[in-house]
Amino acid sequence: MKTDNEAITACRAGDKEMYRVLVERYKTRAYYAALMYTHNRDDALDLSQEAFYRAYKALDSFDNSRKFYTWFYRILKNICINFVTRKRTHNQVSADDENRPELVSSGLNPEEILERSEQSELLWQAINQLKEKDREIIILKEFQEMSYREIAEVLNIPQGSVMSRLYNARQRLLKEVEYLNDEY
Amino acid sequence: MMSTKLTCKEVRINMMGLLDNEISEEQKAALLGHIESCPSCQKMYNDFRTLKKDTQEMKFKKLPEIYWDDYWTQVYNRMERGFSWILISIGVMILLVYGGYEVTRDFFLDPQKPLLLKIGVGAFTAGIIVLFVSVLREKLMIRKIDKYRSVER
Repeated sequence: MKTDNEAITACRAGDKEMYRVLVERYKTRAYYAALMYTHNRDDALDLSQEAFYRAYKALDSFDNSRKFYTWFYRILKNICINFVTRKRTHNQVSADDENRPELVSSGLNPEEILERSEQSELLWQAINQLKEKDREIIILKEFQEMSYREIAEVLNIPQGSVMSRLYNARQRLLKEVEYLNDEY
Repeated sequence: MMSTKLTCKEVRINMMGLLDNEISEEQKAALLGHIESCPSCQKMYNDFRTLKKDTQEMKFKKLPEIYWDDYWTQVYNRMERGFSWILISIGVMILLVYGGYEVTRDFFLDPQKPLLLKIGVGAFTAGIIVLFVSVLREKLMIRKIDKYRSVER
């Protein structure tokens, strides 16, 4: 199996088929990453495919010393943010909605996304109540399973700050879970 | 190297590295030593451990296989279509330049055509061009002030 860098070199030399190696390797992670933003299967599929296409177009600017997926993730995130923002604008959200976490789309439908489990649904709700900055780092660590080094690269922050950002995010998530547990 | 005297705040932040297995054995030992002797840090550590376990147990619904089968084809189609759009754009530009040249030569420079008609067609064409440029500029301005454009690739 070709490594990422071998596949990228072949793509740059004009072998389009070699891009399939990268798509097959990362499509699942890309889809679930998009799903965390869109909360909708079809949109997540469409946006992750669009991100692969745009990454292909921008492949010449890829720095081989970096990891493909962390570079790709930033493209995907950009597309997802623009999509959710556009969707929010088109839906003409009310003033109350503006106080919600920035990237949460209106369709919070855990039943479409999660296997049924009370604890999972509660946690999903709690994660979606977090501010975007906290939500993102939790997603990168727990769902995208990135190392601290990769998280630092994606968020463009020093590696040393990852732990403190995660600490704050997890602490707020704990509070949110506690609050939701008390409510139900 | 972690100092032997750790404050609770330091321990709680570094606890993340312990949970995520991102610190050295020596650091782990220092943290666990503090956690064992500090009930408040111990409680926090247990809470974080439970949270991590619950998060890891969250299961996302699997996408039906049919979507994955078609995934690469969908990406490949976009890649091919992207190239087609470039060709179409080049073609349209050549046709427009050629058409503009022909129209100027055969219509505007033709002394047989009435002046009023030339003014009418000229005004209509200029209006369309101004409108197009205006819409294009507006779109570009919106892109410029879009706060998410700064998210780096």
